[in-house]
This record gives sequence, C-alpha cells and structure tokens, in this order.
Amino acid sequence: MSAVVVVHGGVWAIPEDLAKASVDGVKAAARQGSSVLKGGGSALDAVEAAVRAMEDNPAFNAGHGSALNADGEVELDSIIMDGRTLASGAVASVKNIANTVSLARAVMEKTSHVILTGRGANLFAESIGMATVPADELVTENEWKEWDKQKNYVAGVMEDFNSQWAHDTVGAVAVDSDGNVACATSTGGIRNKMVGRVGDSPIIGSGAYADNLSGAVSCTGHGESILKVTLARLILSHVEQVNGNT
Amino acid sequence: MLPIVVVHGGAGHIPKDRSEMSTAGVCSAARGGYTILRGGGSSMDAVVEAVSILENNPCFNAGCGSVLNIKGEVEMDAIVMDGLTLGSGAVSAVCNIANPIQLARLVMDKTSHSCLTAEGASQFARSMGVPEVSPESLITEYSHMRWAKNLAPDAKPVESQMWKMGTVGAVAVDSEGNIACATSTGGMLNKMEGRVGDTPCIGSGGYADNQVGAVSTTGHGEAIMKVTLARLILFHMEQGQSVEAASDLGLAYMKSRVSGLGGVVSVDPQGRWAARFSSLQMSWAAAQTETLHYGLYAGEHFTQSLGGGPL
Repeated sequence: MSAVVVVHGGVWAIPEDLAKASVDGVKAAARQGSSVLKGGGSALDAVEAAVRAMEDNPAFNAGHGSALNADGEVELDSIIMDGRTLASGAVASVKNIANTVSLARAVMEKTSHVILTGRGANLFAESIGMATVPADELVTENEWKEWDKQKNYVAGVMEDFNSQWAHDTVGAVAVDSDGNVACATSTGGIRNKMVGRVGDSPIIGSGAYADNLSGAVSCTGHGESILKVTLARLILSHVEQVNGNT
Repeated sequence: MLPIVVVHGGAGHIPKDRSEMSTAGVCSAARGGYTILRGGGSSMDAVVEAVSILENNPCFNAGCGSVLNIKGEVEMDAIVMDGLTLGSGAVSAVCNIANPIQLARLVMDKTSHSCLTAEGASQFARSMGVPEVSPESLITEYSHMRWAKNLAPDAKPVESQMWKMGTVGAVAVDSEGNIACATSTGGMLNKMEGRVGDTPCIGSGGYADNQVGAVSTTGHGEAIMKVTLARLILFHMEQGQSVEAASDLGLAYMKSRVSGLGGVVSVDPQGRWAARFSSLQMSWAAAQTETLHYGLYAGEHFTQSLGGGPL
C-alpha cells in the first residue's frame, strides 16, 4: 500500500500574479504531508500538517490570509476526519486562532463532541492552551483592499467565479501505509459573508468526508452549493456503488 | 397517498409518566401540519408548523423545554430543507428565541447563506424582528433538574439523555409533490458551550430531495453525523430500497459502525413513509388520508380517524 497525500488550495479564477504563489503553496503543503507519511506518520497527521502549511501561507483563504466577513472580522471554519473510526472534529466561526485544523483535531481527540462553534470553540481553545493571535495578524493588506471594494456580497459571488477577486478554502486527503484514510478542510469563508455564516467546510459530508471503506474527499468552491448536494458524501457514495459495498 | 406529514418527538427512553404527554404532543403536531397541507399549504409550511408546535411544547427537547448546556443555558440548533431547490436554512447555538425552526427558515428565505451560528444567528434574528425571549422562558423545572443531576462527576449525560428526551422533527410531501424536512433541538444534556450536534448539519439532522424523499433524524448526534444518517438513508432509497428498509439499513449501520442509537421519520415522493428507531422508544405520529397514525414503543402502530378520537 503506497501512501499518498493530495492537497488543494481553492478553486477560483486565480490571477496571473497570484498563480505562482498558489502553486508553490500547494506544492509545499504536499511536501509537508508527504514527509509525514514517509516518516511512518498517519494519514491524520499528514492532512493536518498539509493544511497547517496552507493556513500559515497568506496566499490562501485559511488562517493567515483569510477573507473578512461583513463586519471586517475573520471567522474561521475547519474539519478533520479519521476514516478508520469515522471520528471527526470541527470548529465553526472561530476567531484569533492561526491553525483551526489543529483545533478541530483537538475537538475530535479531547472532547466527546464533533463540532464546537463561536465563543464555545474559543473557550475550548483557551482551555487546552492553544495560542490566540491578534485578528489583524491574520489579515493581509490585499484582503482589506478587496473587502472594501466588495461590500456587496451578491455581486461578489458572481465575480468570484467569473473573475479574480476571491481566494478560497484549502484542504487535503491522504492514505497512509496502514491503509487508513483521512481528510481535512479549512477556510475563512466567503468575503463579506454575514457574521456567523457557516459554509460547507466544517459540515461533515459536505466540506469533507473520510471512510476507510471508500476513500476521502475534501471540497472547495461555492459553499452553499456544496451543502445542497452534500458533495463529499455524494462522491463517496458513487465510489461505494462501484465497489458494491453499499 | 398525498399529502402526508410524519413527525417525531425524539428517540430514547421516555419515562412512563411522560409518555402520554409525548404521544399527545406529536399527535397535535401531526394534526397541525396536516391542517396546513389539507388547506393546500406547502410541505415547508407544514413541517415548520409541526416543529413549531413541538418547540412550543415544554415536554420536548426543542425551543421551550430544551436541555441545558454545561453552564445551565439553552443553546438551540435547527434546520429546514426544501426538496425542490435543495435549499436549506440552519441555525446553530442560537439563544433566546422561541422558535429556532422559524429562524432557520428565514436564513433560507432571506439570506444567500445556508447556516448562521451563535452570535451571528442572534444578530440576524434581531434584524428580522424576531422577538427575543428571556432565557428563563425556555427553561423548565424538568430540564433544570436533569442538568443539576448530571453535574455530578460520576454522571453519564449521554446515556442519561438517551434515556429521557430527544430532538424533534418532521417530513412532509404536499399535494404538488414537493418534499420538505425540519429538525430542531436543544442538543445534548450538559453539552460543552458551543457544541453543535447533527441537527443543523445538512445530510445528518435532515435531508430532502423531491426526486428521492426526506428524512429527519433523532438520537445520539455525534453518531448520526459520523454516518451522515439522513443522506445515507436516501442513498439507499435512490438505489431502490423501500422507505422502511432504507431507514432500517441506515440505523443498523450507525449501530454497528459507530455504536449509536437513534430514530428517523422518512417519506418518499409517493407518500410512503416510515417511523423507525433502534432505541427503546421514539414518539411519532403521521397524518395521511384523514387518518392519524402514532406510536411510542417498537412495533406499536395505533390509528384513529382525524375527524374524532382522543388524540
């Protein structure tokens, strides 16, 4: 069984001047994930490492470099899932955390819950000693400029996919040498989203899903559309049908 | 066979002294939903009405009567989904409103989003003129007593909850063949602040698709999410399983793969329906062709004419 990690840095019409940073970023993230796997690490460790690398990279809409909501703040969503046990951890609408994929993993491993949201998620982060970062550290100058230009969200969505304004969600899937699969997805969400808007990313079956019996998927794109079709779970159900294990 | 509405008032173990209230409650909700359908109303109107009735009824874990989080506060989750457009609206960890299901519907109808959480959901409620209610108005003596009991270090809230009360929900098909689902809950007893369960997660707490059917779920939230129970049942239906077989397959898988118990109400586009559960009980009721169906324990299926009868 050969170990594999696959990452994505978002789907949108990436402009020329950002293209190199994006491609360099996903390559670096894939390398991070790969070295974890080569060292005998688990699929979970690999996807977390890959997504952390992209959260730390301001070229992507996750962690550092996230989009701003309607109030000019950063609210972050993440999910991680273990295909062996179907255990999952997710956080939604979290503030001032640089690596929400790791917070999502802590929800999975240190609580009996799957999702924590808002203030509750931040309180949990505090309780496990996860460092907070000042909000402006997560926001790039370019993001402030674009946010300002794009106060109207509806116009923004159409432009995002027809032109070059948006960044997008990041994610990774992996299978390790034991045959275990895992996935992780992380995002700052859509620029100018309503306060408290939660997209597909932290929603199990939509933003991501992993099952040793069929595989793992991490999604990116228009969150509300991904939710309507529970995209990650849909893709794996097609795999299940071909495998005959439904 | 159309229109039809099926409601549930939670899967678990309802103590005998509360079982009559529970049965009466789901029957009343089914009647309320059916009245709307019979008057030509939409399946969305019907499920929102049915669930609002259950939220307003203090003996269910939704709206008034919700279980308390670890801090002794009410935080509620809800979802609605429209089988025609696949549009949905959800709220999570929302406080101080009487009917989260109606707020969920407003998210779907009045925003370009599908889910709002916590403070953002409350802000949106205020912007829509949804009246804020006092925290105390949602807390019952019963929920307070259960919260206090489960603060003890050796208490087991998950088991304790499974044995007492659960989430509410409904599915419906209207005379035009449009399908909808709705689910609402106060969540898990003594949950961490900000804990969100399956209810507002599309595909887990509920799912509706005009081409396949609709499901609303109840039970151990974390287990339901791990198998995306509602979507799983509909996948089975897409592959030709009956509503009942698909529901049983989904529940059995949840039990064997992740050791979770729960219950569902499910319906297909022709109005065939099922109320199935792997827990000891689930209070449920259905209204179709002027007949009220209801039950609580496994194997129970009572009927009475909607025109008369004690319930």
